[in-house]
Amino acid sequence: MDTVSVMIEAEPYYRAVGNEIDVFSAAYRHRLPVMLKGPTGCGKTRFLEYMAWRLRRPLITVAAHEDMTAADLVGRYLLAPGQTVWHDGPLTLAARSGAICYIDEIVEARQDTTVVIHPLTDARRVLPLEKKNEVVVAHADFQLVISYNPGYQSAVKDLKESTKQRFIGIDFGYPAALIEAEIVAREGGIDRALAERLVDVGRRSRNLRGHGLEEGASTRMLIHAGRLVLAGLSVGAAAQAAIVLPLTDDVELREALTAAIAACLE
Amino acid sequence: MSEQANDAHPLAELLRRPVLQAPARAAWDALAGQEDAASVTRWTEAILSLLHANAGAACMAALLRLRDRPAALAHMAESVTDICRHAGSSAALACIEAWVALRAPGLWPALRRLGREAPDCVAVAARQAGTIIAATGWDGFEDFVALGLKATGHEKARRAAFFTLADPLAVQALSRGTGSGFAARERRLKLFAAAILGRAPMLRARPAAVGLPPPRRATLSDGVLLLPESFPGLPETDQAMLFRAAVAHGLTHIMAGAPRQTVGTLKPLALAVIGVVEDARVETLAMRRFPGLRRLWAPYHVARPEGITVTALLARISRALFDPAYLDPHGLVLKARALVAEADIADPTASRRIGGLLGNDLGQMRLQFNARDYVVEPAYRDDGLGLWDFEDTTDAPPEIMEMRVETARLRQEEGEGRTDPGQDAARGTGRARARAAEPESVLLARYPEWDCAAAVERPDWTAVRAIPAPLGDLRRLEARLEAMPDLRRRIDRLVRAARPGRPRRLKRQPDGMDLDMDAVLDAEIAQTAGDLPDDRLYRGTALQMRDLATVVLVDVSESTRAEAVLETERLAVALLGDAMAGLGDPFALLAFASDGRDQVRLTRIKGFAEPFASVQRARLAGLSPGLSTRLGAALRHAGVEIGTQRSVRRLILVLTDGEPSDIDAPDPRDLVEDSRRAVLGLRARGIDVFAVVLGADGAETAGRIFGRTGHVVMRRIEDLPARLSDLYFRLSRR
Repeated sequence: MDTVSVMIEAEPYYRAVGNEIDVFSAAYRHRLPVMLKGPTGCGKTRFLEYMAWRLRRPLITVAAHEDMTAADLVGRYLLAPGQTVWHDGPLTLAARSGAICYIDEIVEARQDTTVVIHPLTDARRVLPLEKKNEVVVAHADFQLVISYNPGYQSAVKDLKESTKQRFIGIDFGYPAALIEAEIVAREGGIDRALAERLVDVGRRSRNLRGHGLEEGASTRMLIHAGRLVLAGLSVGAAAQAAIVLPLTDDVELREALTAAIAACLE
Repeated sequence: MSEQANDAHPLAELLRRPVLQAPARAAWDALAGQEDAASVTRWTEAILSLLHANAGAACMAALLRLRDRPAALAHMAESVTDICRHAGSSAALACIEAWVALRAPGLWPALRRLGREAPDCVAVAARQAGTIIAATGWDGFEDFVALGLKATGHEKARRAAFFTLADPLAVQALSRGTGSGFAARERRLKLFAAAILGRAPMLRARPAAVGLPPPRRATLSDGVLLLPESFPGLPETDQAMLFRAAVAHGLTHIMAGAPRQTVGTLKPLALAVIGVVEDARVETLAMRRFPGLRRLWAPYHVARPEGITVTALLARISRALFDPAYLDPHGLVLKARALVAEADIADPTASRRIGGLLGNDLGQMRLQFNARDYVVEPAYRDDGLGLWDFEDTTDAPPEIMEMRVETARLRQEEGEGRTDPGQDAARGTGRARARAAEPESVLLARYPEWDCAAAVERPDWTAVRAIPAPLGDLRRLEARLEAMPDLRRRIDRLVRAARPGRPRRLKRQPDGMDLDMDAVLDAEIAQTAGDLPDDRLYRGTALQMRDLATVVLVDVSESTRAEAVLETERLAVALLGDAMAGLGDPFALLAFASDGRDQVRLTRIKGFAEPFASVQRARLAGLSPGLSTRLGAALRHAGVEIGTQRSVRRLILVLTDGEPSDIDAPDPRDLVEDSRRAVLGLRARGIDVFAVVLGADGAETAGRIFGRTGHVVMRRIEDLPARLSDLYFRLSRR
């Protein structure tokens, strides 16, 4: 389990693509829990870092996983010499200190684990610590944010209806081409023309979504490709290494994608 | 030589006939010195029996004129005799002539077979042998004959049409060639096109027109890109690039989306020139967007500044418009460049204007132009016919009308099988409607079938059609289900016990990889308090996943009418469906019957995405028995359906009452072997296939098709409802 609690000091780079900042700010004003949906590598985590910075709240990030228990979120007694000591989990920590608690990829956790967030996400805003016999009343600044990728959820990995309905939703997609090029240029440290070409390359792979690819190249992948070019690789080689190879093992798909990418490049 | 010597001669009977005397003697002299005496004897016997079979003198003489090793000659003489007996002397002569022209191994066995099974077709087949072998390769002739015999059955007229190469199936078989062309690359090309275009374009093999040689260029027709099965005369390794270049070129036309133009009074030469200019225009537009396409096409522009035939000049203009570095001093080429350079290439009418001007100049040069023989160069470009609207003018090339009809059909199939709504719907023409399919059956897909006798897979042999399911009397079905409360309760219990869940966490285990924190704490506290600590300090997980998708394939052929088999199947499937729905396992219910290879009728009772609700149950109640059992095609289709599911385990559960059979398959072994191959193919893809065979009759065949552990025989049909669900639970635990 990863717990990171940080006060973000410098402004993270974030390029707004829609009204997501307004929606989030409005939700935060009333401390409504928020869910960020969208494909991988499209900027969900970066957005939240930016919002934490903007709202000047510390951010506690938990990467959810299959083996996570409720105790991993809430806290547990640990052994100390001659005694047991209670340790707050990240969720409790955030609720007490008034941080933003971000549970990344929440569907990876089991549904029976995620129900512990329920009392924090309705009007009660409390977190009962059953083992410790304590009810933590959430700090006035506390907010809960979760993210997940609706693309690869299966019937088993889905949120319970009772969980879903507690959240304000913000949907992330791939930004429009020009905006995405701006982001790739800025993050990859490359010039605008190259960024535009890489975005065009990325678009080829996104066209294949549903034709054998689960998902097309993410903005993050394009940034990686840009960095490879910056380090001296040709655009074709960078696209192959950063995009085609990680995306698929299907030989025919690779061949087709490589050919389509070649068509985009000088 | 004396009369006496003639009488003693092994070929004495021949020597008595004046016309045969000389060739017989010559043939004998050629053979006499050979060591292989046994073959010479065989040859002699065969020649004599040919004479006794009333072979004409021409046939005899032709055979006697052949020279080869004695063994080969003996084999030929025996074959000719055999053919002559069954198909007559002139057919035998045609075979000899074909052999002289082709010397293709495989010719004789195929012709002998044809002689026995279709004597009327021997002569025509022998005459077409050259064409057939040219298209299919040396070893393709036998296969072609086998295909013809199987496909046409006892329809004499159709059989004759097949071997004169007038039947579409024959044309298709020839255009398929050696089988490594378009079909082998189709998926890659479609993916490539989808990546470029952003939607899946329609890419199909270009059907060969009857009576014409296989197509050599791609063509566009109403947004469908039709590609030849292969580009003749190119080595295997270069085909891949050429196919990609051809698809890319087709896409440029689709992207440019210029409307079809009316031909009006334009001459074929003008059409060709305008085509060249338009190709250059759309390619330039596309290369602005996809600069890398230039690399793909450049290797095919090999025209040089020489040659003043129309074809050469058009190729030179093509290259000049494509390649700015190409130098060509010809006035027409320079003019073409200049005209295109000053035109607005985004304007779709520019091509017609420029092409018209160039066409005039070219016309004044009084060069020969034969529209029939003209082939567009470079090879990756389409034939340009897609640009034109020939309206209903009679001078439209005959293959165009054929192509239109074909694309209308493709469009229809494509629209139904796949989700591509609205695409090009606006462009649908009145011609599409001319060929409305019969209203109630919709072609879902075509599948290959294993031809046991020839040991080859016949591509696209069967057509699976969706038949809408009539709704039946739901109340009656429910009443019968109500009548077995005990059984339903038992199944309910099984469902509850097997209800899905994610891995269960096990606490306080005696061993494991991770400590159970709570147990450790308790143990520590117990120890501190002086109690005996519990040593079960670990945690673990138990997998209790259910991730199983099932297609239940129900045989509703005529034989299920007897003993109320279908009635029982219905109940059993209803119970099973309830169980699967209760478990949350994804499943589909399909019923099948067949009426010949072109009519494998599939009724969808429930799709994967549908609930098992009253409509689906009413469809189940509405099933009625009839027709035959073409199991292989149904299995292949079930495989495609279940292929859409992403479950870890996939199961096809077949309910059948016996052997596969169909009206156009006289040898039941064929369909058994085909089904067996279908099962093996599915298993190779990780799909489990299990059959429940009703009644003891089909037990042996089922063993052959599904394997010993792949089926269960249910001797008492009444047991089915109780046992089918049990079986499912057992299978799902496996």
